[in-house]
Order: sequence, then C-alpha cells, then structure tokens
Amino acid sequence: MNREQLFSIANNWFESQGWKPFPFQTQTWTAFLQGKNGLLNAPTGSGKTYALWLPIILNYIKENPNYKTKHNSGLKAIWITPLRSLSVEIKQAAERVLTDLDIPMTVGIRSGDTSSAERAKQKNKMPDLLITTPESLQLLLATKGYANTFKNCSSIVIDEWHELLGTKRGVQIELALSRLKTIAKNIRIWGISATIGNLQQAQEVLLGVDSEAYHNSVLIKAVIHKKIKVISIIPEKMDTYPWRGHMGLHLIDEVAKIIKASKTTLIFTNVRSACEIWYQRLLEHYPEFAGEMAMHHGSIDRETRLWVENAIRNEELKVVVCTSSLDLGVDFAPVESIIQVGGPKGVARFMQRAGRSGHQPGKESVIYFLATHAIELIEASALKKAVENTIIEDRIPYLNSWDVLVQYLNTLAVSDGFYPNEIFKEIQGTFSYQTITAENWNWILNFITQGSQSLHAYDEFKKVEIDENGCYKINNRMTATHHRMQIGTIVGDAVMNVKYMSGGYIGTIEEWFISKLKPGDTFIFAGKKLELFKIRNMQVLVKKASPKKESKIASWMGGRLALSSQMSELLRQELYRANTDNLSPELKALQPLFQRQRKESIVPSSDEFLIETFKTREGFHAIFYPFEGRFVHEALASLLAFRISLLQSITFSLAYNDYGFELLSDQEIDIEAVLDNNLFSTEYVHHDLQKSLNSTEMARRKFRDIAVISGLVFTGFPGKLVKTKHLQSGSQLLFEVFRDFEPDNLLLHQAYRETFEHQLEEGRLILALERIANQKIIWKQCLKPTPFSFPIITDRLREKLSSETLAERIQKMTASYMK
Amino acid sequence: MKIQIQNQNFILHSSGALFWEEKKTIIISDVHLGKITHFRKHGIAIPQNAVSENFRKITEVLDYFLPETIIFLGDLFHSAKNAEWNLFEKWISNHNQKTYLIAGNHDIIDEKHYTQIGISVVNNLEIDSFLFTHHPTEKENLFNFSGHIHPGITLRGLGMQSLKLRCFFQKSNQMILPAFGEFTGKFILKPEADHIVYAIAGNEVILINK
Repeated sequence: MNREQLFSIANNWFESQGWKPFPFQTQTWTAFLQGKNGLLNAPTGSGKTYALWLPIILNYIKENPNYKTKHNSGLKAIWITPLRSLSVEIKQAAERVLTDLDIPMTVGIRSGDTSSAERAKQKNKMPDLLITTPESLQLLLATKGYANTFKNCSSIVIDEWHELLGTKRGVQIELALSRLKTIAKNIRIWGISATIGNLQQAQEVLLGVDSEAYHNSVLIKAVIHKKIKVISIIPEKMDTYPWRGHMGLHLIDEVAKIIKASKTTLIFTNVRSACEIWYQRLLEHYPEFAGEMAMHHGSIDRETRLWVENAIRNEELKVVVCTSSLDLGVDFAPVESIIQVGGPKGVARFMQRAGRSGHQPGKESVIYFLATHAIELIEASALKKAVENTIIEDRIPYLNSWDVLVQYLNTLAVSDGFYPNEIFKEIQGTFSYQTITAENWNWILNFITQGSQSLHAYDEFKKVEIDENGCYKINNRMTATHHRMQIGTIVGDAVMNVKYMSGGYIGTIEEWFISKLKPGDTFIFAGKKLELFKIRNMQVLVKKASPKKESKIASWMGGRLALSSQMSELLRQELYRANTDNLSPELKALQPLFQRQRKESIVPSSDEFLIETFKTREGFHAIFYPFEGRFVHEALASLLAFRISLLQSITFSLAYNDYGFELLSDQEIDIEAVLDNNLFSTEYVHHDLQKSLNSTEMARRKFRDIAVISGLVFTGFPGKLVKTKHLQSGSQLLFEVFRDFEPDNLLLHQAYRETFEHQLEEGRLILALERIANQKIIWKQCLKPTPFSFPIITDRLREKLSSETLAERIQKMTASYMK
Repeated sequence: MKIQIQNQNFILHSSGALFWEEKKTIIISDVHLGKITHFRKHGIAIPQNAVSENFRKITEVLDYFLPETIIFLGDLFHSAKNAEWNLFEKWISNHNQKTYLIAGNHDIIDEKHYTQIGISVVNNLEIDSFLFTHHPTEKENLFNFSGHIHPGITLRGLGMQSLKLRCFFQKSNQMILPAFGEFTGKFILKPEADHIVYAIAGNEVILINK
C-alpha cells in the first residue's frame, strides 16, 4: 500500500469522527511513515495522541497487507507516559482507531497498578501496543530474555517528554533508549513535548548526541494560539491582607463567588496539605457545595482519582480542589475557570494550568490568581507579563547521574547480564553520559562488582559477579529481588497505606506525619475525618471519627518550588515599578503595605540594593533583598554567611524565599564589615561556595536521593519490616561515612555537583552578584520587622552555617527539658 | 571529664567509652562490629575503610587508659559471624585484659566462639554496688550502667540554632552510655529536671547547662 492509500485510511477515519486533521498531525504521519524519528511539540488536548497512534497503525498495515486474515503477534510499539493515570485514556484512543478500522491488534497497559497475573500473561504474549511508564520499562529490561521481547518493536513514543526531561526519570529513558536502539534495529523514536525554552535540546537528549537517530529526525510544531486571561483576586479592603502565610483562606468568599458563577472550577494548590485544607474550609463555609465538590491529589487512592476525573468530564462536579496531579493529561471540556492558589513559580506550569479551561473552540482560558500573602500579589502582575509575552523556561537535563547509571547496570545484570564494552559504547551515545571517561566507567564497574576501588582482605562484598565469559551478572536471587523492588528514581518519604478497619483503601500518608499521632487521635485526610486505630505492617488502620473531634490536617513533606530566572526577572521589573506612577492593579492594591514598608525602611528601586537589620527576641536579623528567586538566595545566603564567618567567629541560621534571604545569629552581624570587605565580590565565588557547602546540609540532602537510587539505602519490602531491618540505615549516617572514609566516591561528588548545577545555579548567582555590584547599597537599621521581611523571618525551614567550635556553641545553648 | 558516682571515679571519654579508675576497667557499649561487612555482603557498598576505624578507636582508648578489665555492654556484633569476626579475633589476641560481654539483643553469635577467644559472655554483671546491663535496668541499691539506646540530645540556642549530639545520659541511679561504634546513629532523648547530660562534642565531653 502506498502512502496515498494509507493517508486516505487516516483521513476517512478522521472524517467519520467529524474531525479534520491539523497540519501538525499530517506532518507527523508523513515523517513517521518515511521512517524518521522526531519530537512533536504540541500542547495537551490538541490531538497529539492521534498524531502518533495513527501512523503506528498505518505502518503496521503497510508492512502486513494481509493484516485482516494473518495477524503477526508480538510487541510493535511502546507508549511511555509519566503518569500511569493517563494510560487508560491513551489505551482508549488507540482502541477507538483499531475497532473502527477493524484491525486485530491488541493494546495493553503495564504499570505499577498492573496485577501480577496480567503481567505474567504479558510475559507469555506481549500486546501489540504497550502503554507503560519509565519505571515499568526498566523493569522489562530486568526480565530474562528481554531482547527477544523488543526485537520486532518498530516504534516508541515518549509522551510528555518535557515533564521527564529535567528529571532523573528522563535519564532513565535515555538509558533504556540506548539499549533499545541496539536490540530493536528498526525502532523509531518519537517524543511529545509541550512548549519549553529548549525544544531543540529536548530533541537531542531524546535521540542522542550526534547520533544516527538524531540526524534522521524532525521537529514538528503544532501552531495553536490560545488566549489566556489572568485575573488577580483582590479584595476590596487590603488592610486585612496577611503579610505572610501560604493558604490564602482569607479570600474564601471571593473564591466561592467564582465557583458559583462557572460550570466547573478547578482550584490548584501547590502542595497536598493546602489542598486538604481548602477542601475542608470550603465545605465548612459553603455546605451547599457538598456532593458537587471533590479533591484530587497524588496520595489519594487511584480509584477515587479516576472517579473524580470521570465526574469532571460528565459535568457532575462544580469544583475540584487539586494539586499538580491534574496538570497533565486528558481534557476536561466542562472546566470553565481555574484558580491558582499561591505563586506557581514558573510560567510554563501556570500556562499549562490555565490551559485546563475553555476547551471549546474560540473560547479563551481564564485563570484567577490568588496571592496567599500580600507580596505575592507582585507575582501576579509579573505572571500577566509573562503570559502576554509567552516567556517559557528551559528544562535542564541531568548530566552524569552516576546513581541512575549504577541502577541501570544492576538492572541489566539482573536479567541477562551485560558485556561492559557493548554497554559503554551505548552509554557514550546518550546526552547524559556524553562526557563519561574510561576512568569513570571503570569506577562504576568496580563499584558494582567489588563495592570499592581496591580489593581488601576479609571483604565479603557481593552484588554483580563476572562469569568466565566476561558477562556481568547478579546471580543471587535475593539481591535480584531487592533490586527489582527498588527500580525507580522518584525518592519520597516512606509512605504507609491508610485503610478502613472494615476494609477499603483511602490513600497513602507519610510515615513522619503518622508517627506523631497516637491511637485515638483524629486527622483529616482525603477530605475525611479519620480516627487512628492502629498501625500494623506499614498499614494505618482507621475508622470514621466523630465529626466533633478536634483534628489535625494531613501534611506531606516535599520540595519547595523556586521562581525560575525568567519569573524573577519579571518580578523585579514589577517591584521596581512600585516607586513610579505606572502601577498595575496589583501594585495599587499593595499601596498600604508599601506605606508600612516605607515607614520603617524603603521600597527599593532598580538601582538600589536593600539590607535591613533589626533585633527580635529570636536574635539579630539581617535581611537582604536581591529578588532573584529562592535558589539563588539559597546560594547567596550560604556564600555571604561563609564569608562573614571568616571575619568573625559566628553561627548563622539561614532562611530564604523568592524575594530575599535572612542571616540570623545570636550575636550582632557586622554589616559595616560586609560592605568594607566587599563580600558581594564575584571573585573566588566557586571556591567559597564549595567551602560553604561543606558547612551546610544542602549536599547532604541531595545525597539522600542518590543513595536511594544507587541502592545504598535499602528501603525494604512493604509489610516485611523486621527481616530487613538489619540492612536499613539513615542516609545521614551514610553521608558521614562516605565523607570520612571514601571522599573520592563518585556518588558523593555527584551530590555536590547536583547541588551546584540544579540547586545553587552558580551561573545565575554570578549574574546576581554583578547586578548587585552596580547597585547602591542601602542599609536600614530598623526598630522592628518590616512587611517585606515578615514572610522570611517566620520561615522555620532553615540551613545552618557556623565558624564557632562545638564547645563554644554548646556553652550558649540549653537542652530542651521535659516540663 | 571526670565524675564521681557513689564515691568512685569515672572518666567520660569523647569516644563514648567510660573508664572506672579504681577498678582500672573500661566500659564500652554498642560497637556493632560486623555491621558494615553485613551490609556489604548484601551488595550495599558501605566504605570498607570504615571497618578498621572501630578497631583503631578501641585500640586508641585502651592505649590511653591501660585498663585491666574490659566490659562490653552489649551489641558488640551487629549480626551473625562474618569476616569481621576474623579481624576481631586477631585484634583480641593482641590484648590480654579480662574481657566481659554482656549479651545484647544483637549478640546472636554463639557464646562458645567468645569463650574460645577468652571472652566471658554474661547476662549482667554486678561489681560492688554497680550493675552492668545492656538494657537500662532499675534495681534497688544498685547503680546501673547500660547501653542499647544510643542516646543523643538536641540543644537549642538563640538565633534558631540547634545541635544534635551523642551523649552520656545520667539519671538518679543509672547512666546510659552512647554507642561507641562508627555507623550506628543516635536516638534523641528528652531529659527531665533531675537528669544530667554529658554531650560529646568532637574531642571533648561537656556537661550540658540546664
């Protein structure tokens, strides 16, 4: 069958649905059928799924003209999705085409939710089209005889590639693809990505640097213009607007008005606990929403989430409070309004969320921004500018993630074993490991076979063994099982399942939260008031609590987001406008706050750098305002604290937000000395930062994830706590042992490097210092905390840095005694 | 740091060991030998060099105090016999002190292996008015030395400062020793008004202010 005939099959099918293919869809079909690889840049809800399912099916028809009578079984295509909750929709889309065209291909899903019976069935006979996650794909590589499974696979699609790109899951995909290119000779690789700043790079990371696959590839952009309208929720009276806080509940009545006026509203919060609290408060204040309101976040049981998603589609819900769990995936046509609670920190995320509404053609997307504290309102006007000018951030890919490589090699060793020469060549072709040296490689091989770089007497290390043919294999069944259980790169706090005593699964909760409760205590989770009955085998057994009982709201740890450099730039421009007459509605609303700020201090203009100092009963505070975003402030704070600690023997506790940072100490900080000694200098920045890192906890925290991914921390089997307890250890302890006894360990180095590259963003730091060098420093000695300083000084999550000896510090401290 | 308990002199050493001057006895708790080897045997690559650190530290303490008796307050070995036992055997053959092991919950290695290398394994030990156990124990008219808990303490100060340190934890009639071993971790205790806490800060032992 020639291409024209194939295209008419596709076109006819589109017509039968009452659709007309978009140019980007036909472009993708053409390129795919020409045998090209590619990256498709198309937003959610644009028809991107059919842009790739159709040519996959057409290609099968082309290669098997007798497909109706003679079906060749075996895996033909893999579709990778980052969220397993999306897989059902993707499956339905494929099945729709197959049924209508009467093609006897099967579609299967394989993810963490797939039953073991179903998995076993798939092992015997793979579906023709397989929908899976990055982790499950790795697990397939950990299966004996995997090469045979993939042999005739002709295509792999990585959906939502932008979500994976800046994460270690992306590296996992790079590694899997490097293997698939060898074992599935004719495989086409396609990615689908929303708009990001570095699309070209995304394509290169997907296909491999200067690879054959990359040279035979295309970048297709779906040109879809969508209008987004951003509206800030500003109360009539600003004097009650809180200076700090992260919930925004004071605006609940305004939110209720929006809900009442639209068909369906999605309320996005940044964290799960905020989601729980908003749901609870809305129910209390507006009981009439009961029955038409739901909650959706990642820790809630999957069944419940699916129910919520369907209910949105069927227009059964008026409002859903959710987190990023509803960022991705399928369309919810009935959604009319979006409310974003708290700063989204990035433009891309904000636009993605805005795009969840107004799906009918010609309709604009409406997103309301709810600032949780006063200064956050400045973010609102910055966001408006960003949306107007379509400023989108980059996703920075990970380089030389040794932890992921260690895990991957163990994976290969668990299945059929591997030969280092072959795998080394494949790995060198990936973006992430393009600069790997033979030395690095040998280090990794020694690490997995000997657990060290030199052989010791009396050593019993055993993991990967080398057989007489030079094949690297894991032979011990227990070790293999341990490894399979730990495949993955998402490291979370230990979670426990929450279940009713009468049966019925509610969701998962983090161990640290539950450990603070005693049996009989009540807590609110998934919108339900629950009483803790007991904890058994990593399961939290609960019963319904009496509605009158006092209760805590469940909360989760989890990283804080930081403003992207694009957002911080816009934020600064916006703030500097506060001293002009050119005021946005948000800045106008903030006038009372600015007045208070000016009473005690100033609102800086673009040529001024503000430092405030004051004393409270907590100690001596020094606040600096670079307005550069949380990550840069983290770096600046450690750098400055380190440099001051060289001048005087002193201990600091550091806090930061997106606007500035604080150095807090028990003794007065000599700001004169900071200025006289030019401590904002860009000289020796790298050196000083490195030194400061040794005295703070940042690298230590990064090491935690690395230790888990590389298998140094054994997370244990669910429900089998006691037996594995002998193998468990804290990553804190591990960090110290490595630092003291194996300082050259590559995984340890990786922790420092990642802190530099992904946390401190040294490049941005230097630009910030250069900017400060051109500003006039204004030092205000205040009598009390200013409105600007308030959200920072009340932050309890702090980093420490000290140049005093332990003994000196202990003399000034006391133990917290029981009362 | 030197302290008196029931008119006897004890030195609290920054390694976590306790020296009883009158009896020339060194008391060491929760060394957890073999832990690192145990991990390595299961494919978890904890640095091998850390193994020798435990032996280096014990030797250093013995060379400093020159005791005649050693009492291990339990959890000397973390797990079943492994290669570290050989190192221990070699190490002990160079020392001729009378050595006791008070069996802890981790001490699952058969008593006869200890007997062969001259170590007496006991459930507890009473010397004068002192009782040595692994788990903290209360017994009338006896002062109890124990381990097991791996005690640590949180200190707080002005400027939102805090520190977590290993410590000797003393109650009216007992003292809990810190874990001696590398790679063992600590459990934070909250003292009551009549408790005395000696924290280990680098090379010093410091009495904590109330």
